[in-house]
Amino acid sequence: MNIIELENVYKNYETHGNIIPALRGVNLQIAKGEFAALAGPSGSGKTTLLNIIGGLDQPTSGSVTVGNTRLNQLSKKAISDLRLRKIGFVFQAYNLIPVLTAIENVEYVLLLQGINKKDRLTRSKDVLREVGLEKEMYRPPHELSGGQQQRVAVARAIVSSPDIVLADEPTANLDQKTGAHLLAMMRELNLREHITFLFSTHDPMVMEHSKRLINLIDGRIVSDEIHSKP
Amino acid sequence: MENIIAQLAWRNVWRNKRRTVLTFLTIMVGGAMIIFINSIAKGGHDQMIEDAVALNTGHIQIHEKGFWENQTIDYAFQLSPELNQRLEENPHVTGHSRRIQAGGLLSFRDNTRGIFIQGIDPEMEKQVSNLHEKIMPGGRFLRSDDTTQVVIGSTLAKNIGARVNDTFAMISQGFDGSIAAERLTIVGLFKSGNPEYDREVVLMPLSQARSTFTMMNYIHTLAIRLDEAAHLNMVKDDIVRFTSKSETQLEVMGWDELMPELVQFIVMDDISGYIFDFILFLVVAFGILNTIQMSVFERTREFGVMLSIGTRPQQISAMILMESVYIALIGIILAIGFGYAISLYFEINPIDYSKFSEEIAVWGISTTLYPAKTTFINIAMTSLFTFLLAVLFSIFPARRAAKLNPIQAIRKL
Ligand SMILES: Nc1ncnc2c1ncn2[C@@H]1O[C@H](COP(=O)(O)OP(=O)(O)OP(=O)(O)O)[C@@H](O)[C@H]1O
Ligand SMILES: [Mg+2]
Repeated sequence: MNIIELENVYKNYETHGNIIPALRGVNLQIAKGEFAALAGPSGSGKTTLLNIIGGLDQPTSGSVTVGNTRLNQLSKKAISDLRLRKIGFVFQAYNLIPVLTAIENVEYVLLLQGINKKDRLTRSKDVLREVGLEKEMYRPPHELSGGQQQRVAVARAIVSSPDIVLADEPTANLDQKTGAHLLAMMRELNLREHITFLFSTHDPMVMEHSKRLINLIDGRIVSDEIHSKP
Repeated sequence: MENIIAQLAWRNVWRNKRRTVLTFLTIMVGGAMIIFINSIAKGGHDQMIEDAVALNTGHIQIHEKGFWENQTIDYAFQLSPELNQRLEENPHVTGHSRRIQAGGLLSFRDNTRGIFIQGIDPEMEKQVSNLHEKIMPGGRFLRSDDTTQVVIGSTLAKNIGARVNDTFAMISQGFDGSIAAERLTIVGLFKSGNPEYDREVVLMPLSQARSTFTMMNYIHTLAIRLDEAAHLNMVKDDIVRFTSKSETQLEVMGWDELMPELVQFIVMDDISGYIFDFILFLVVAFGILNTIQMSVFERTREFGVMLSIGTRPQQISAMILMESVYIALIGIILAIGFGYAISLYFEINPIDYSKFSEEIAVWGISTTLYPAKTTFINIAMTSLFTFLLAVLFSIFPARRAAKLNPIQAIRKL
């Protein structure tokens, strides 16, 4: 079953009358449980693609389906709700709400969903434990390292058991070792919890560890390989 | 975490402590200034009214209809025992005094002057006006057993070159059209501070005025003093209702109608006060706007993240509005405390305006000490306006944040 289906997706940006094609006919299917990386040079359209899948941006043409929902026809409110329940986001850095502690940042998503306090706390503690942050739960973001902050962001992204976690260069601001840790942790969640991940990266190490590597150049998918090694 | 928006707002308020504290100070100082200025004005105005009322007019006057407009001896009425009783029984009436009033000519040696004669009951008058406290040394106020003894204004005495114990001639017209003439002896001089009074007024005993002007039981004015100016309308309405059935048509006038210039002065003074308030309100409002604006601007990326993980735009703007509500509320509490404290200080230690006594003496305002007076309405209105302006001025940044495009917002680092 495909969690994501993109059909002939085009995206043009217009700045000062110039049309910049960011995506030019992208076709992509991602199945449940995949651990896929989007690679490609700067400006190739990775962020644009992730934003469109996550409903943060709209394609100029083509259709986008997440789960069973076609995004093209959804209202803003419905897309916002979809992001809340079906999609987890992890950005490159500064992912967290600074005035909330680690656990509160995770809890926040559940709170927006109207989940009761007891379940919220249990669930938030569980995911923070899963990302290895049981000791840092009650710290505010500025008392966490970059890697720990990214872990909280991953915990927040997975806490509501979304269909997919979209991560735009999640390791870009981390050193090699911390980045590798984060990736290993994401892979573990992928295996253990069957969470689907799609992330963009520049990092050869990250590409190597992905199960599937999708290469974008100039807004087109130029290669799409399944890595067989675990 | 239950009300996450309010909680986020509260924590955001304390995020940049220095800026928040500065904003509190702006609201505190601005709001306190407004409360203080209004208290000073209110205290000053009340004191002016009290002084003017105490000097002569009283809070309420009753005349025969037409007297105030025409000011002639012909408009006179008899005080009915029922009305007299009614006034005695009213707890807000602290005194009432019957007066006979007439214009006349005074002649002393080579001098002739136009004068204004006021026949009063010395004892009753003391409960209404305070001219008896303004007698210059060497003289005395009228007594119940006085007949042709009079008290005159100090300026008048100076102008005609008369002193205590001098006797002058007065000529006027009686109620019946006859000539009213009398030789009157000065027993005291008063210095009220009101130039017009001091130049024109001659006080004589009511009993003597009755016979001099052949008034029988008629009087021109019943002056009434109240415990508080605030009870004016209540008492006035009662008198109007009570006297509506009487044979003679009466006019019941409050101090505001008797001294329209004073009302006008107060209104003008209030307007300039409001302009000052308005400027201060703007300063406070812009202080809040600036803080909210800056903090919203700094958090663009954060809003982008919040939006992309499913926060609704309205929740973002609600949060920003809550932030300004918190800032405003804390600022207002400080402003009330500070404003009330300085107002209270100047209520206990009145401001001395003796330097300006010449200018304000026109209404017989001789008091130069003006205590501040803080009213509930002053504090309530200041708080309410500050609050409304704070919320109003945050609507703009709040709406802008809600309209943010999350991807553009996230691009900002
Ligand atoms: N808001 C925008 N307005 C105009 N052009 C844009 C906008 N966003 C992206 N682009 C353009 O679209 C193209 C794809 O950009 P995108 O950010 O998707 O690339 P990327 O692969 O994520 O690059 P990087 O690796 O540097 O993050 C680029 O040419 C970029 O300049
Ligand atoms: Mg990018």
